Amino acid sequence: MRTIYLDNNATTAVAPEVRAAMEPYFDGEFFNPSSAYDRASSAAQAIKRARAAVARFLGGVDPSEILFTSCATESLNTALYGAVRANPARRHVITTAVEHPAVFEVCKDLARSGLEVTFLPVDRAGTLDLRTFIQALRPDTLMVAIMHANNETGVIFPVEELARIAKETDPAILFLTDATQTAGKLPLDLRGALRHVDLLAFSGHKVHAPKGVGALFVRRGTPIRPFMIGGHQEGGRRAGTENVPYIAGLARAVELAQEDHDVVEARIRRLRDRLETGLLARIPCVEVNGRGAARIPNTCNISVHFIEGEGMLYQLNEHGICASSGSACTSGSLEPSHVLRAMGVPFTAVHGSVRLSLGRYNTDEDVDRALEVFPQVVANLRRLSPYWDAAHDRPRPESEAMMQGAS
Amino acid sequence: MAWEYSEKTKEIFMDAVHGKPGTHMGEIEHPDGIGEHGSIACGDALRFTFRVRRHPTDPLQDVITEARYLTFGCTSAIASSEALCTLIEQGGYTPVGALKITNRDIVTYLGGLPDQKIHCSVMGAEALEAAVFNWAQKRGVDLSALGIDMHAEEKEEGRLVCQCFGLTEPYIKRKIRELGLKTIAEITGAIKAGGACMSCHHKPGGLQDLLAEVWGPQPLTLKVLPTQPTPREPVAVDRATLSPYQFSKKVEKALDAYVRPMLRRDGGDVELLDIKDTVVYCRLVGACAGCGGAGMTMKLMVERTLKEMVDDRVRIISV
Repeated sequence: MRTIYLDNNATTAVAPEVRAAMEPYFDGEFFNPSSAYDRASSAAQAIKRARAAVARFLGGVDPSEILFTSCATESLNTALYGAVRANPARRHVITTAVEHPAVFEVCKDLARSGLEVTFLPVDRAGTLDLRTFIQALRPDTLMVAIMHANNETGVIFPVEELARIAKETDPAILFLTDATQTAGKLPLDLRGALRHVDLLAFSGHKVHAPKGVGALFVRRGTPIRPFMIGGHQEGGRRAGTENVPYIAGLARAVELAQEDHDVVEARIRRLRDRLETGLLARIPCVEVNGRGAARIPNTCNISVHFIEGEGMLYQLNEHGICASSGSACTSGSLEPSHVLRAMGVPFTAVHGSVRLSLGRYNTDEDVDRALEVFPQVVANLRRLSPYWDAAHDRPRPESEAMMQGAS
Repeated sequence: MAWEYSEKTKEIFMDAVHGKPGTHMGEIEHPDGIGEHGSIACGDALRFTFRVRRHPTDPLQDVITEARYLTFGCTSAIASSEALCTLIEQGGYTPVGALKITNRDIVTYLGGLPDQKIHCSVMGAEALEAAVFNWAQKRGVDLSALGIDMHAEEKEEGRLVCQCFGLTEPYIKRKIRELGLKTIAEITGAIKAGGACMSCHHKPGGLQDLLAEVWGPQPLTLKVLPTQPTPREPVAVDRATLSPYQFSKKVEKALDAYVRPMLRRDGGDVELLDIKDTVVYCRLVGACAGCGGAGMTMKLMVERTLKEMVDDRVRIISV
């Protein structure tokens, strides 16, 4: 059975070009880039070229402003803890209620250690209110950490605007953005639109590089302390022998993302829109989460009312379709998606949420197949649901009332 | 997370969703017993109904002939519901006899369930109990006279321990005893208590305390208690002699008197969002909002006016 991969916000396949770019550094050019002898220079050169490539990818920043890390989570931990340690006089952090755990949990940890953290709420469409953001800024605000786009809903935050307001209010406020879901999807111009952003993190494996490599942009002059110490690598800002093959892979991946960005983006957007419109037309009682907001072009997060997400995923899985859900039953814990809850999506709709995220290798056939299978999967579960009137293919009247009161 | 379901669980789920003959999806009209457990907010819910062959004189000799379920829930919740109905129909139980079926029987029938999914089987057993209670009421059987405690009251009464799933102290303690739960993780796996916000784990009267009450004090495990953030004094800001209120009033007055009339001539206006210290956040609206010269208007017209009329330290941030 062919696999139909609709979970590109979770991870992506390594591109063949990326793999080829990594290959030389496993055995032939395996040397430690810090070594003195001539044979090691190709590894050192690879790191240098990679740094330049990532710097170009981020709008032509200075290569010395790029740190290579093991993943976006490490980049974000470095930025947050590093900034707190370098600025002990400031004790307030602003973030949002819908961040990825790599920021959300770190912020909760900072709050436990005595800092004050403001978690900005979002509205039903998943967007932030600028007035609330402005009100949250304080004279002792150390950092604003706001994601560029949400991993579950794809909703884009106006980071350009938010960073400018923060910096114009107080240039000493550091602005961090998690661009894991926008790298390769939206332009990341840190000398243009994003020029007020001090710190930006992303990972390789969301842009067709392998898992285990990420990057952190640190604008020159930004006061942060290193997170990993014990070596001179990365200018002493991230100790540890460089992961040469993976860094070379990351560089090739961001080059690929730039080369045909417009064509790929337009194609993915068309596929996503066709998928979303098709599902809305074929299945009663569904809603698209974040539909009223600007969204990245590949993500479709829908809530199917009156059934539970895990049973949908399981059946999709049986048809070779890979997707994910914000339902409590798939989360590992029993808590449903904090993102959808923060948006005020009713509990029942959170449990019935499914995220479909497309990527550069998806085709029209994939969308056709999903449109064929998904409505049947929903119908199967609705026949079993105590909240659904299978005979009339509509919710039971009392369930409708419950939906209203469930939020 | 990959699925760790047994082949049997997967097979039962797929048969159920495809409505294979012999499966038990549905609801019996005018049932002899009906029981529900869970809620849509908690992520799973089961409505269980059964029909009996009535004994002409002795209701205790009624035999369950048909059992059906409607379930909102995950793969294992649906498979557990199906297992419950199959076990009951195959066993030829009386309603009271059916109470012998426990969540463990359901787990065994399914060939095992992952730890964090045990609560799905518990839900089945709970719905069965509720349905038997309902049958007893309809048939005028006094269960307590038979020495059967249906715990009907403990859901509504008793101190609420797990706020997230609405579970009370008597209920949780009974389940700890009945299911032999020894750790918080086991409690969460079996009945979900403490599975969402986790605030009830270690607080006084929380899950750890209930475990200690049932099983005796446990060896102390490491607890990391959250530190309360300490409130800070607001940073004092010198704003000459004006209070923040007076300063805002003065800004608004200046906007009304000098800025707005000019903007309105062009069909625009300015919206004031916030004032912090001497920083004024505002946005041009109406015709001015889309104007190419909006930035210049803010700097040259609005900021200059406020500097002149209010305070020369005023800064405008356009939003």
